[in-house]
Amino acid sequence: MNLRNMCLKMFVLIFAVVMAAGFSATAGAAEVKVGALNDMTGATSDVGKDYALGIAEAIHYANDNGGVNGKQIKLYQFDYGYRVPEALTKYKLFKRLGAVAVLGWGTGDTEALSPTVTKDKMPYVSASYSGHLTDPAKTPYNLFAATDYSSNARAAITAWFDEKWPKHKDYGKRKPRFVCSYMFASPYCSAPIKAIKDQAAILGFDIGPDQDVSLFAIDTKSQVLAMKDFKPDLVWHGNTTMSVAATVRDAYALGLGADHIVNNWGFDENLPRLAGKASENVMGAAVCAFYGENVPMMDKVVAYGQKYNPGVLKEKRLVRTIQGWANVLALWEALKRADKSGGLSGENILKKGFETMENYDIGLNVPPLTYTATDHRVAGKVPIYEIADGNIKLLKVVDLKTRWPDKWAKEWIGW
Amino acid sequence: MSTTFLPCGVYHQNYAQEHGWWQTRFIKAKMILLFVVLFVGIPFGADSYWLSVYNQVGYTILGALGVQLLIGFCGQVTLGHAAFLAVGAYTSTLLILEFPWPQLLIKWGLAYPLSIIIAAVMSGICSVLFGLPSARVKGFYLILTTMAAQFIIVDFIITQYVSQIGGRGQAFSLPPGTIKVGPWVIDNDLKVYYMMIVLVILCVTIVVNLLRSRAGRAWVAIRDNDISAEVMGINVVKYKLLAFFVAGFIGGIAGAFWISNLAAISPEHFPWFWSLWLVGVILIGGVGSIHGTIFGSIFMVVVMELLQLGIMPLADTYPKLLMDFLFIKEAAFGLAICAFMIFEPYGLAYRWGQIKNYFNLWPFSY
Repeated sequence: MNLRNMCLKMFVLIFAVVMAAGFSATAGAAEVKVGALNDMTGATSDVGKDYALGIAEAIHYANDNGGVNGKQIKLYQFDYGYRVPEALTKYKLFKRLGAVAVLGWGTGDTEALSPTVTKDKMPYVSASYSGHLTDPAKTPYNLFAATDYSSNARAAITAWFDEKWPKHKDYGKRKPRFVCSYMFASPYCSAPIKAIKDQAAILGFDIGPDQDVSLFAIDTKSQVLAMKDFKPDLVWHGNTTMSVAATVRDAYALGLGADHIVNNWGFDENLPRLAGKASENVMGAAVCAFYGENVPMMDKVVAYGQKYNPGVLKEKRLVRTIQGWANVLALWEALKRADKSGGLSGENILKKGFETMENYDIGLNVPPLTYTATDHRVAGKVPIYEIADGNIKLLKVVDLKTRWPDKWAKEWIGW
Repeated sequence: MSTTFLPCGVYHQNYAQEHGWWQTRFIKAKMILLFVVLFVGIPFGADSYWLSVYNQVGYTILGALGVQLLIGFCGQVTLGHAAFLAVGAYTSTLLILEFPWPQLLIKWGLAYPLSIIIAAVMSGICSVLFGLPSARVKGFYLILTTMAAQFIIVDFIITQYVSQIGGRGQAFSLPPGTIKVGPWVIDNDLKVYYMMIVLVILCVTIVVNLLRSRAGRAWVAIRDNDISAEVMGINVVKYKLLAFFVAGFIGGIAGAFWISNLAAISPEHFPWFWSLWLVGVILIGGVGSIHGTIFGSIFMVVVMELLQLGIMPLADTYPKLLMDFLFIKEAAFGLAICAFMIFEPYGLAYRWGQIKNYFNLWPFSY
């Protein structure tokens, strides 16, 4: 038998085994199945890897603590490489496997799946905190345990306006100037733009032309030079940490002279590591505690991190792990509540699980969770942090709900 | 000359018979069976997951068909085809959401079908624009000029301008009920599947017939030797641009079809990687073969899904296996291309032909 024939026969044999395994039944008993879509290799993998670790570790924690009223959670976790077609197929696979809920990732795929999720009544707890997903009238089954991008951006701009602008030499002489820097093509980055410009208009900013910066950017000098023409006082960054660090560094090197605020997925422990001095005074909203902070539940997060992924050093971990934990803990609580109140159908998980939470505290500095049948924004209070001497410190908590009650209640939901 | 093996004593009596698609009753029966499987068997046998996988196969076939025509039949190497899919998708979406269609057309569900045709023409025109350099350059240089389509169309025109129309989350969210063909609202995987299968059959028919026409002969002549083709009196530039138009046209149909499977589109849906993927599809399926386009698409989508399902039972023992599967998939893509280039350079289509020959000639295959 020659090598070619042998290879061919081996291939046929392996393929037959794979096909047989593929078509075989995958059902298991007394398990609650949950699907997870994560990005380990795609455009947002710089933050996606840690989030994925957090998801898996938090599911272990939930299972070690009784699972869903005695039933273990079975996690199907896939890397979809930030590709929308892959996400669509994987979601259908989760359904086929009998998943009762999905832990999703990106804004593009979450929004593309939203009507399907609604039709299927599948609770979809994603890492996309897009404001578009907070209006239950349009996207009832989309949820997340964090304040949304739009609220975060509104709060961050307000915090800068309250704290930084009065100290500026031109305060009282002219309007503050403001530009946005983000990847236009990315739904994640562009999701809060309308809300940001609305907030900037409310506070009386002059708004300059947006700058398109790729999520893969490592050199952003041309965009920074374009910003320089406008002479902004404040730049909002909508990308993830790698490209935000590149932009902040270039802005520092070219002497832009503006302050910076960064969207949630661009603001983490890696930003000062990557941008060094340039990251001083950069502001951002964090939706939970940073890794290793002294807050309730953090001991569990650290312990499970060391137990299940000892190769990833504690010092290298990011806030993303905590974000993963937050979404899992919220879903876990919803599953337990729904299970006690009639079963784990999608509608029960939403109505008797999530929407029964009122100021439910999961620890980890996550704002107390409140989901109502008319509003899936978890909270109106947003803590804004600042990098000082390489460390991330709380600057101010902005309470959007109290400061603009009418707008919060009637206008701002869903965008 | 026909490539079909005819049973002993059966022979053609005129050119029409020789050009017939299905030349024997056995082949006709096989094709009827295939249509029954496609239109009845699969829709009733497959669940939502498998339908979604098949829809992706269809999308890949529609995307790769244009690439096959350009590379496989006209010798024009392209690496920017995703851009023409994007043009199709955006044109169709914008027409549905923004164009003031007469109420009658909307009521009759004709807006989307008409938008597909317009999107296809628009993509065809864009493709011709980026095919213009083919009059002067070829090979490696043409790859670069076609790649420019991705950067100019997707990264610049669509991202900076087109996707800004109507504001974020409005123009390019496709609310349920907007994609309608006649009285049918395309709102589930089964309806998308039926639309996909009809479009694939239509496009394959168009391309196969074109290849049997004067244009098809000219394309093959250009592919084999463009100087000889010119000497023979073929207007090389005209036929190259015609190939770009047809490829773009089908790409536009693919893009316009894809929006029926989505609720929202963004430029992120049409990455440059997709162009490379489509070239991989035809390399594995077989360059210069319509069968190859279909086999390549099935291989790249279905086989990978099966591989994934195959490893799922192992995930209990090796929990990270599922998470790392995309790495395996990416590696399998690269490995498959290398392996095919070495062991099966004519792709799956050639192997398919060999298998058919084996049965046709058995037991006298020597």
